[in-house]
Amino acid sequence: MKPSHGKYFAISALVAAMSLSWQAHAVTNDDLLQDHLTTDRIVTDGMGLQKQRYSPLTKLNTDNVKDLRPVWAFSFGGEKQRGQEAQPIIVDGVMYVSASYSRVFAVDARTGEELWEYNARLPDGIMPCCDVINRGVGVYDNLVIFGTLDARLVALDKDTGRVVWRKTVGDYQEGYSITAAPLIVNDKIITGVAGGEFGVVGKVEAYDAKTGNLLWTRPTVEGHMGYIWKDGQQVENGITGGEAGKTWPGDLWKTGGAATWLGGSYDPDTNLLFFGTGNPAPWNSHLRPGDNLYSSSRLALNPDTGEIVWSFQTTPNDGWDYDGVNEVISFDYEENGKTVKAVATADRNGFFYVLERESGDFIRGFPFVDKITWASGLDENGRPIFNDDNRPGNPAKTEGTQGQTVTTAPSFLGGKNWMPMAYSQETGLFYVPSNEWEMDIWNEDVTYRKGAAYLGAGFTIRPIHEDYIGVLRAIDPKTGEEVWRYNNYAPLWGGVMTTKSNLVFTGNPEGYLMAFDAKTGEMLYRFNTGSGIVGTPVTWEMDDEQYVSVVSGWGGAVPLWGGEVAQRVSNFNQGGSVFTFKLPKAYE
Amino acid sequence: MGINQRVFLPFLLVLTLLSAGQAFSRPYDELLASGFLRVGVYENFPPYSFKNADGEAVGIDVDIAQHIADEMGLELELFWMLPDEDLADDLRNYLWRGHVLDHDHKHERLSGKKVADVMLRVPYDRNFNYARGYIGQGVYAYQNDLIVMMMPYQRETWKLAHNSDRLEAARTLAVFQYHPIGVEMETVPAFMLTSVFNGNLRNQVRHFRSPAQAFQAMVEGEVTAVMAMRGELEWLLAQHASDSLKMGDTTFPAMGKQHWDIGIAVREADRQLGYHIEGILEPLVMSGEIASIFERYGVTWEVPAFYDF
Repeated sequence: MKPSHGKYFAISALVAAMSLSWQAHAVTNDDLLQDHLTTDRIVTDGMGLQKQRYSPLTKLNTDNVKDLRPVWAFSFGGEKQRGQEAQPIIVDGVMYVSASYSRVFAVDARTGEELWEYNARLPDGIMPCCDVINRGVGVYDNLVIFGTLDARLVALDKDTGRVVWRKTVGDYQEGYSITAAPLIVNDKIITGVAGGEFGVVGKVEAYDAKTGNLLWTRPTVEGHMGYIWKDGQQVENGITGGEAGKTWPGDLWKTGGAATWLGGSYDPDTNLLFFGTGNPAPWNSHLRPGDNLYSSSRLALNPDTGEIVWSFQTTPNDGWDYDGVNEVISFDYEENGKTVKAVATADRNGFFYVLERESGDFIRGFPFVDKITWASGLDENGRPIFNDDNRPGNPAKTEGTQGQTVTTAPSFLGGKNWMPMAYSQETGLFYVPSNEWEMDIWNEDVTYRKGAAYLGAGFTIRPIHEDYIGVLRAIDPKTGEEVWRYNNYAPLWGGVMTTKSNLVFTGNPEGYLMAFDAKTGEMLYRFNTGSGIVGTPVTWEMDDEQYVSVVSGWGGAVPLWGGEVAQRVSNFNQGGSVFTFKLPKAYE
Repeated sequence: MGINQRVFLPFLLVLTLLSAGQAFSRPYDELLASGFLRVGVYENFPPYSFKNADGEAVGIDVDIAQHIADEMGLELELFWMLPDEDLADDLRNYLWRGHVLDHDHKHERLSGKKVADVMLRVPYDRNFNYARGYIGQGVYAYQNDLIVMMMPYQRETWKLAHNSDRLEAARTLAVFQYHPIGVEMETVPAFMLTSVFNGNLRNQVRHFRSPAQAFQAMVEGEVTAVMAMRGELEWLLAQHASDSLKMGDTTFPAMGKQHWDIGIAVREADRQLGYHIEGILEPLVMSGEIASIFERYGVTWEVPAFYDF
């Protein structure tokens, strides 16, 4: 930790001298539940626990957004740049934002001055799979809580940045890590874990927000026992999926993968948590015939017990690395005079799913990208109809040094990756940041691991089109219709936010924060932040003015994966900063 | 989260963009003058490199590293490596670029990242060293051209050890339709045993985090046999004196690569250091004297295919 004491005390004295409106008040459960309705603060990742990323603010609109101006920028400093994927949190005039390498900053939201910073001390030799990113913090009571690359939850005092408690969620030496923002519901911190191909088993866990004590743990792979703590006693709470071996051969369930690396959302109507799970292990699907539950799935859990209430698997027996972790957004819509309580999710595998919120029943699904080759469609239950020719070959049957090459769309980075989409209650549309790319996969035996021969998969990702990869899409969840699209040269890797006044904000790797007309897709504003945007913008109100903030700093998984896509982004420079915008005073 | 990746071109790009990423530290003369040699060995990897009960660094590779340092008149500094997903990652993390999380070695290198002078237990494979990968626009670029593989010093082989009380001999793999067999997860034995014979052995394969855990399961009777590298199995057999645990001579026709050579790697710019080390190790290998180091750990030394003519 690097607390800047001198600076902090000077500023706290200043704070004390200022008006009561700036006086810190603790963040309550109610604040978290009302976040989607309140405009003067953002206390959840997702701008509401349902993660619609929809703001009721209207001061900034399609007419005046062209006059948006940056009011301050804040640099994360140091040499630690790389991908900045966080969404800022704003409480009582203070912005809490995380940065690469497990850092957290508290910044005066009016001026951009730093109040404190926290640098997690990371152990040597951790192996984060996909860049050293962090996707944001949670706030609760007087705490700022976040997960670190070495798989700990750290709770900081929101005024000083000092550590209040610290808990280990997984052993980083076994490959566990945390990059998602924690979800905070009913005084509990709910978190998943990231983990690579090293035999990690995914889980969702709840911790007491005040003390950091573990309350329940729910493994996401069939056959593993869940636990709940009652009066300090660990009590068995049922085996995930009932028993081992139903959808996995042999003992592969023991090391089955299904990491919950992107965190979750919560719906107060049904009192359900929604978490997605990653791909199964080992990566070669031929070794594990069966559905491999609950890999590449969406799970609904009871926040009090961790019980799995329903599950929906997007890619059974995944062989393409189609993690099923993408965010599940709760929303209501009218059909035949009835309100349907639904959830929507846009999967790495290229399909968009609308499910019944309480039961997980499949309502409809449709492609949201132009090209899907691994499946010809979905059946009436939402299960993919596989194209067997498009499943990567069995490496055990590789002849010679390189097996047969299979070309598949979308690429393993997905029709949509982690970057969150937004839902507008005004237009009834989802705004989906997506990518059009495909991959070649082949098996090769000229590779090694820890001094041993190894059967690896070689692959390369290719753009499908010369002039764009990224596509920001407006999608009607009732019909699957694409209402408008914006094509972007580089792949889109940042989240989306929308407002009641029909604005859609997102950023691109070229560095622009962009605002679109939510109805037409016309670009109304853009500003270059100097480095690629792979974070998610937010908007809030302060001193009767509407602000917009976004973190800038190119990185994340895209530049790590080579091939022609890496060439397309190789000239983008790294960075690490927050940009904050508002309209000039003349509009008041 | 990533099919095991081999194509790490972006790191080449990073290298091109940031000259600070390059590893020109410790030229040969400076290395000799510094008084120490930094050798990369894998952490917790018996019998090759590990810490014994007293916390001392021991193992075949540690002894070889010590021998090299002694011959060069340098102190040995061991650089313990945690293996990443594959060899290309390890070469990047520990030899030519340094680990992404390391920013604490500014006094050594412009990039601020610590790297080894030489890495041991690197397979010796020209096809790997000169592998090309497609980077678009009709271009196939070298993927591992920042390092040089040199000096094969051992031949490694997949082997099978079994409990002869439960299974007299494992002449073919077909017996493992009826007997549980332990393997380290995410290894060729794991892939092979779960896929041969149309997957008929699949339900008998037990996956463990390490060969030592698999071996322990054999000692406790949970599995009948263990498949792993010869060196690992011989070391484990030596640790568990028992008449019933035996090394088998099963062959594995379904397996792509049954044997491979193990050598060293240095940075492309440090070939001179590599030649110096070859001058030290080659006589030991040619004469077979290196076998005495392997014997200390109960391991049979097999001459590398490179010298087997």
